Amino acid sequence: MAEHVAHDDHSEDHESHSTKFYWIIGGILAVVTALEVGIFLVESSFDATLFLVILLGLALIKGAGVIAFFMHLRGDAKVFQFVFFIPLLFAFSLCLAFLKLFSNHVGIAG
Amino acid sequence: MSSSVSHGTGEAHQKPLLGSMGVDSRKLGLWAFLGSETLFFVTLITTHLIFYARTKATLAAAGTLEHLDPRTHYLGIELTTVLATLLLASSLTMVLALAASKVKDWKKFRFWQLATILLGSAFVGGQVYEFIHLYHEGLKLAPQYVLEGETVKSLYGVTFFTMTGFHGLHVTIGIIWLIATYVKVAKFPDSPENPMDIELAGLYWHFVDLVWVAIFTLIYLI
Repeated sequence: MAEHVAHDDHSEDHESHSTKFYWIIGGILAVVTALEVGIFLVESSFDATLFLVILLGLALIKGAGVIAFFMHLRGDAKVFQFVFFIPLLFAFSLCLAFLKLFSNHVGIAG
Repeated sequence: MSSSVSHGTGEAHQKPLLGSMGVDSRKLGLWAFLGSETLFFVTLITTHLIFYARTKATLAAAGTLEHLDPRTHYLGIELTTVLATLLLASSLTMVLALAASKVKDWKKFRFWQLATILLGSAFVGGQVYEFIHLYHEGLKLAPQYVLEGETVKSLYGVTFFTMTGFHGLHVTIGIIWLIATYVKVAKFPDSPENPMDIELAGLYWHFVDLVWVAIFTLIYLI
């Protein structure tokens, strides 16, 4: 028997998921974590760039899974996505720009 | 038997605090706060990555990178993998607690919420253990670290402990929030605010898990 909660029609958009669905997502995220650790352990058999791309890709999958399904941002009101992803975009831009500008200096103060 | 839940402002009879955007203003406020938190944590992570890269460049120039690289010497992934698994599991238990609250199954809610609190506490305990271990190994909140009897001037330790320490602080605040929600729901099980209170605490909790996903990959694995 499926138990349901009525939707609040005059509120923001939202999605329904079963508890089984959350277990499946949790399982997938656990498998991705195991993959990350496995790839780390055989790092030497990968090209450095490929290693970086794979691990970043797996982290992205995990992050997207948590945001979309555990935080329910997928299917929720667009304004929530806006106030979260715009700062995230700025943050990534800042990260990339600063890494490029300041990383390769010899000496503690650069 | 599966239970379906809606994700928005909660139960049908609960009056959402709709703002001019047409969404619950508390939830919108929390998402905006989490947006600002991404800037906070990305800044800490970026600072650490920059000073690690500088430390590596300095060591490479001196020809001592192989035996004085702080990351390969200090940071093992055994404990961190356990910590990452604990937080990931706590995210699952949190969403299950929310699902139980939406169908007013308070017994299940209490079980999953308590599991989340315990998993989060285990994470903080593990992090404290890691900090003590690193301190004894020579990595401290200081502008140098000691490896094989050599003192290396570097901000690696400062930036590492600042970043992971602030994350640990966020997890601790999250645990306090979860406990407060647990107690509030236990005292007022009929409150129509309960699902939204739990949802807000849950959003914050998933966010601290999300930050650890980034730290685990960027700091420990890459």
